[in-house]
Amino acid sequence: MTAEPMAVAPGRPRRRPLAALRDVGTGIAAVMTKELRGRMRGRRAFVILTIHLLLLAGFTWMMEALQERTTGAGFGSAFFASAQIGRELFIAILMLQTLIVLVLAPASTAGSISLEREKQTLDLLATTPISSLAIVLGKLVSALTWVFLLILASIPITALVFTFGGVGPEDVVRGYLVLVLTAIGFGSIGLFFSALVKRTQAATVLNFVTMLGVTGGATFVFVFWSVMTGWQVQPGFARDESFLDSLRRRPPEALLYLNPFVAQADVICGTETGFGTYCGIIGAVTDRQLVALDRPIEPGIGIAEPQQFGVQRDSYWPRSMAAWVIVSLVLIVLSVQLVTPTRRWRLGLPRRRRRATGSPA
Amino acid sequence: MSGIVSATGLVKRYDRTLAVAGLDLDVPAGEIFGLVGPNGAGKTTTLRILATLLVPDGGDAEIAGASVRRNPNEVRRVLGFMPDSFGVYDDMKVWEYLDFFARCYGIPAAKRRRMIGDLLELVDLGAKRDAYVQGLSRGMQQRLCLAHTLVHDPAVLLLDEPASGLDPRARVELRELLRELRALGKTILVSSHILPELEELCTSVAIIDRGQVLAHGRVADIERRLRVGAVLRVRVLAEGDDLVAARDWFASQPDVAAADILEDGTIELGFRGDDEASAALLAAAIAHGLRVVTFARAASDLEELFLQVTAPDDAARTGSEAAA
Repeated sequence: MTAEPMAVAPGRPRRRPLAALRDVGTGIAAVMTKELRGRMRGRRAFVILTIHLLLLAGFTWMMEALQERTTGAGFGSAFFASAQIGRELFIAILMLQTLIVLVLAPASTAGSISLEREKQTLDLLATTPISSLAIVLGKLVSALTWVFLLILASIPITALVFTFGGVGPEDVVRGYLVLVLTAIGFGSIGLFFSALVKRTQAATVLNFVTMLGVTGGATFVFVFWSVMTGWQVQPGFARDESFLDSLRRRPPEALLYLNPFVAQADVICGTETGFGTYCGIIGAVTDRQLVALDRPIEPGIGIAEPQQFGVQRDSYWPRSMAAWVIVSLVLIVLSVQLVTPTRRWRLGLPRRRRRATGSPA
Repeated sequence: MSGIVSATGLVKRYDRTLAVAGLDLDVPAGEIFGLVGPNGAGKTTTLRILATLLVPDGGDAEIAGASVRRNPNEVRRVLGFMPDSFGVYDDMKVWEYLDFFARCYGIPAAKRRRMIGDLLELVDLGAKRDAYVQGLSRGMQQRLCLAHTLVHDPAVLLLDEPASGLDPRARVELRELLRELRALGKTILVSSHILPELEELCTSVAIIDRGQVLAHGRVADIERRLRVGAVLRVRVLAEGDDLVAARDWFASQPDVAAADILEDGTIELGFRGDDEASAALLAAAIAHGLRVVTFARAASDLEELFLQVTAPDDAARTGSEAAA
């Protein structure tokens, strides 16, 4: 190994976009390889995956047994009863998976950056040519790969609902799309807090507070707002009013965009005729209950086209997921800034005393 | 700026504390260059600026012609940095550790395998290839961290207190390793407050205090420039009054500032002369009839230098800290 001093032209270099992209790709691959080697080593990962699937399968079996007992009597046909069981199973599996993603995604990214700081390895990484973007994306993707593996492995169990009917493949695809985007969103929140605070413990606490805030907290505020404004869903007409006027009448639907359970309610609404419980929730959230394509209901018309009446389906969850995509992108950009040692923007909690790494030596 | 590592007017502040105050540095290629200074002198801050982990508030530095301000990515490609306190990843084997950093530098897979083997041999960790990193001793981890700085064959190595926490054997091994790296053509900047160690190892030093370089160059040159006295230790075959007479004779010689008899009978001389003068003193002592057994400079000239250079102005330092 001989060292030959490299002559470098003065001035800031102009890199070709393709070369820069290739470097980011190389960096992501390096970080991912390192992270996945650690996460997937030995039997631990496979034991956890097996336990996850066993619990999910057990839960599905119990829900099916429960539905078999409670559904059937009083309904018109065996087909209808089977479809009803299929729907209820789909709802149970989807909501449970959403809850699992909600807990696992931020937990798996909570230590991504803060552990590097705690173990004093971030400086070693920061002095390589690997970019902060590659570090952040590599950490996020490798942490979420584990969550995605759990989601992917559950597809065969979810596919059991097809044997009962009542749910189409497109409904399952929508449900899993919401799961994946929710995982990315909550993973980005975990990553951001991990980059913002020094300690993994603090990042974990902030993650769970945020998770509770955007789900339970936002729902509570929504209900509170609804009660205080005396708002009730009024079927009939699309309203022509400004956004500010609408706020005096009812809470905005955007308040619940980051609550994945509401997005899943819209997905489940897709399996209803437009008047079920979940369509009712979406109607209440979107204020579009019983509006047929934004046209007034004309008396005397029968239910010739199911979608002509009821809630306008498949419109809420895409808006909710678009909000998650925007939030994720913003959090990734902020995380990149926080990881960059020579960052220009100063983010972070105010400190009274500087830490050892930042103090003069 | 002509050296492979150079800095001009580097300034770095932490809030109101001035950590580096207009520091200039010029390190020629192929040197083992020591940064010497007390705690809080600005050594680590200077190294972190050179390693592109901090942006200077003023001035600039270049490594192999690349500016740490304008071209940090190029700087990262030509240097290897080992921080003062560093950690190791859990759940990682020794070869995976080096493989990860080699991937970070985009080294192709075909080259990585051979390079990892070579580096592990260089740092004497070939037998630990499949061991887990967290299971290595502190000295081995230090050598592994040093190996990680070499994966991309950099021209310059920045080592912040590389010997801290090592036992004497590990220190000797590290010193040998650094000499080997110098023989391979690397320029090495090493900071330490263990002065005798730097003195043995470094070809040049810069004495830093309060964020500024107080003295800079080869130890002998600095000594000559500052006219700092060396310590000579002389043993003569004499006892009692004869020994006292020998001490008095030495005390009367030119360039000898002080002469004392130590508990073991050695005469310690405060000596202001250069090598020529010390040779003349020895010849004169023998001609005077003194039976000289040993005549040598005491180790830690650098320590003496350091104390001489940094001792004054304590009052000023206290004042500046109070102001900060």
